Amino acid sequence: MNLKRSLFAVTTAALAFSVVVLGGGYGLRAHQRIRSGRPDLGLVSCTHCHQGSLNKMPWAKARPHHDSPGGMVLSPDGKRLFIALDDKDEVAEADVATLAVLRRAKVPGGPFGLALDAQGERLFVACQHVDQVAVLDTSDLAEKARVSVGVRPTDIAFCPTRGGERLVVTNSGSDDISILSPSPLAEVARVAGGREPYAATVVDGGRCVYVANRMAVHDGQLAPPASEVTVLDPASGHIVNRLALDSAHMAEGIAAVPKKGWVLNTMIRVRNLVPITQVKDGWVMASGLAISQADGAVTQVPLDEANASFSDPSGVVASPDGRRAFVASGGSDVVTVVDLDWLNSWLSRASPADRGDAIMDMAFSYHYVLARIPTGCNPKHLALSPDGSRLFVAERLDDSVLVVDTASLKPLGRIVLGDGGRNDPIRQGERVFTRARYTFQGGFDCRSCHADGHVDGLSYDFDGSGVGDNLLDNRSLCGVAGTEPFKWNGRNPTLQFQDGPRFARVLMRTDPIPDPQLDELATFILHLPPTRTIPWDQVGKPLTPAQQRGRDLFFATKRPNGTPIPRSRQCQVCHRPPLYTNRLIASVGTQGRRDPKEGFDTPHLIGVGASAPYLHDGRARTLEEIWTVYQIDDLHGVSSYWTKLQLNDMVEYLRTL
Amino acid sequence: MKNRLSPPFAIVIGLASALSHAQGMNAPAPAPGAGPLPIPVVSRFENFGEKDGIPSHKVHCVLKASDGRIWIGTPNGLCVRQDNGTFRRYGTEDGLSHLTVLSIAEDPATGDLWIATLQGLTRLSGGRFTAFTQTNSGLPNNVVYGVAVAEGTVWAATAAGTGAYDLRTRAWKPYDQTNTVMNEPWCYAVAPGKGVIYLGVWAGGVVEHDPHTGTFKAYRDPDGEFHIALATDSGPIVDVTSWVAYDQGILWQGSYFGLARYNTGSATWRTWVQDKTPLLSNFVNTVFAHGRLGWVSTDRGVSVTDGDNWVNYLVDKEGRGVVRIYRPGKPPETRMMTTALPDGFIMAVWADDHEAWFATSNGLSHGVFTVSSDSSALTSNP
Repeated sequence: MNLKRSLFAVTTAALAFSVVVLGGGYGLRAHQRIRSGRPDLGLVSCTHCHQGSLNKMPWAKARPHHDSPGGMVLSPDGKRLFIALDDKDEVAEADVATLAVLRRAKVPGGPFGLALDAQGERLFVACQHVDQVAVLDTSDLAEKARVSVGVRPTDIAFCPTRGGERLVVTNSGSDDISILSPSPLAEVARVAGGREPYAATVVDGGRCVYVANRMAVHDGQLAPPASEVTVLDPASGHIVNRLALDSAHMAEGIAAVPKKGWVLNTMIRVRNLVPITQVKDGWVMASGLAISQADGAVTQVPLDEANASFSDPSGVVASPDGRRAFVASGGSDVVTVVDLDWLNSWLSRASPADRGDAIMDMAFSYHYVLARIPTGCNPKHLALSPDGSRLFVAERLDDSVLVVDTASLKPLGRIVLGDGGRNDPIRQGERVFTRARYTFQGGFDCRSCHADGHVDGLSYDFDGSGVGDNLLDNRSLCGVAGTEPFKWNGRNPTLQFQDGPRFARVLMRTDPIPDPQLDELATFILHLPPTRTIPWDQVGKPLTPAQQRGRDLFFATKRPNGTPIPRSRQCQVCHRPPLYTNRLIASVGTQGRRDPKEGFDTPHLIGVGASAPYLHDGRARTLEEIWTVYQIDDLHGVSSYWTKLQLNDMVEYLRTL
Repeated sequence: MKNRLSPPFAIVIGLASALSHAQGMNAPAPAPGAGPLPIPVVSRFENFGEKDGIPSHKVHCVLKASDGRIWIGTPNGLCVRQDNGTFRRYGTEDGLSHLTVLSIAEDPATGDLWIATLQGLTRLSGGRFTAFTQTNSGLPNNVVYGVAVAEGTVWAATAAGTGAYDLRTRAWKPYDQTNTVMNEPWCYAVAPGKGVIYLGVWAGGVVEHDPHTGTFKAYRDPDGEFHIALATDSGPIVDVTSWVAYDQGILWQGSYFGLARYNTGSATWRTWVQDKTPLLSNFVNTVFAHGRLGWVSTDRGVSVTDGDNWVNYLVDKEGRGVVRIYRPGKPPETRMMTTALPDGFIMAVWADDHEAWFATSNGLSHGVFTVSSDSSALTSNP
């Protein structure tokens, strides 16, 4: 009897459990299908919709801050070096003779770009986190004034002009350039730059200012990209010229060359429209230097060698006699010394065809590369003493500044700013992120396409099924934590998977990143905060009426006539806040000719205003084009009832995310 | 008797012109008809056409930029006058959004040109064209008739409302019948006023918008008739507005049924129709405002007026240039010119105190004002 009873009890319990589980599972699946509007949906994790708070994201938590050197400037007498420490909200002053840090001043807001006036009395600081320029008195490093500029200012140049003193500020986040009057400190003009104005240099004693724009201008899916060099007259605020660096992106360094009338730009020659398989042939990325001559002619020459690359060219300076240039390669921990006299001689006799082909010839650099100076980790900004005898190299991820004797090209020592953050896994991950040794011949690193973790605005041919006809849009890594799976096909559940062995085979063409470094890389990426797309003084402010109307559209469940919008076509269902993605595959009618499947991972929308182009293959140049050009049968949200005003409102709202 | 402008007279004209500009500063106005003519007079026309590189016989608009270069819009592209006097053309292959250029404006802060075309708005900055269309941006409609730049905002009058593009925030704000007092969205022109914007609405008169307060005010034809002006000097000539222009407190409304002027200081209107007034034609294509003068482009020539005095430029049947001067209380003067506009159908004018440029249906013309050395360019009354 007991056995029977026991059997009965066990059977009953099993049945009850099955009913609960199966019923619960059925109910849960029904709930998910109803709420997602997706009858095809299998059982998925509740976290696709119930995402929790953004405050719990890794990037929202406190992290260690480091003494990463940013912009540098020397006093007119060459005795003192001022160094921006953006991660610490400080500016440091170092003694050039003793290499000792004399003092530090608190400068809130991420001080990054620096400039001194002609007398060396006023230090101008571009504070990238708060969209401001501060003025410090160099006698005591006390802040004297502050003024708002465009979004995320990265560099500042001081120049005397026929209209008085001017400051030119590169606003990388708002794609414009501020022109300031230093006394009193005020913005007198703001002009449109290219995409991500990043660095500025003064030419001819203030006759004009050249601005390097880091990202390429996206002008059509299959059009080769080009970065712009914006030339402006700081006295009038008028744009004089917009030079194109063809097939170039990440053009973030710029320097005027005395006595030659040139301007040098560091750049990556990118060939995103060829299959990524060509990495092994050195075809996808190559580091170069662009020479802009006074007549507007631009010639690109390689910094790479036939079987060795020097990735992420960043800072560049030219010697006062105009005979040499120094270029920091952030991914290769090297400063390259360039013989400008040789290039001058070559330019004087080169045919237009020679000039056009030079960047393709990896053996060409043999003629003018005089030396490669090893540096610490991630050399970025450079500065030269006024007499040209000392080169200062900001070793950004080592928290130090290398000092080099430019005659012997030997290191003289280091200005030590911090401990390098060796115990910080995020910092360690950033080193992996910026290290080119993990790719074929050191040709590129993660940062070569994801500057600051964000996008480069390009689409790449990842499938190898043809030249330039199966592109995938580069996606931002900023704010990516919690948005897994990754990749447009949604196949990669973790960043380690995403950046692991298959990635090494497909893209890097080398051995995979070792597991410990892979974990560090993932840690770094998960701590990348979302890109800020709105001015700092607008953060936390209520939405404007237009933005609020756009938000209402985003969350609309019915058309104006009361007709319900199917849940699967409501914006907020797939792009569910707070991450603005439900992390599911969705088909929105954008399958291309070569796309094997119609569904794509639903991208998160945080920072979407700054991540053009759009859709999985980058076919939409602007947010508007998603609906005005590429919407089919209301598959990508029901938008057919929107007026032009409503579309504009929607775009305004999306730009706030 | 020869009716020549003597050198002293030319100088007096210049002084009078300057004086007329100063009237806004409480200077006493001269009695009607007294004193020198307060309007500069063109002594000769220098004409340019397809032989000079202009890619069309028709020129829609003309602008002298702050750097002194002359830009024109044609049905076959944008052109700039080069140092050698010939014209260089830019087309869609250069990045222009459409070949048909209808209006050009310069951003005084940046020197950028904004170009209204039949298919979008194009920015020319530092030699690079950037197209804004209704599909890739917040531009309300691709058919852009007029464009103006003021206080960091580009205003584009389109066939589906006026779009305001904030150059700092890069946000577009459309204005049409759903969010303003305009009765229909078809906008022909936009003119920045003192702290306000005037929108020329095709069948809706003139709408005044204060961007700072977000308010709108409609100026409508008081009689509501567009074939006849029953109520003169009391509002827009008709509701059909072909153009608006503003300078120094004076708003001009062009129409295909006459001309109107609004003095924003005294809040008074004046209206003119052909035959009853010196206005050359009721068919007003555009008006260019400079100082207190309105340069009125019509299908029969150009009328220049300060509201009281008029100088009209016509082309007679023989193709000769004729200038007619009307002064209050005096009989009209008619003078023959040694040169003539290339055509009587005038699309647009650009003028300052020193010269005028005329966009016509048969090329571009440069109007050289009367100076001492060429006062003989005007001949006697016929």
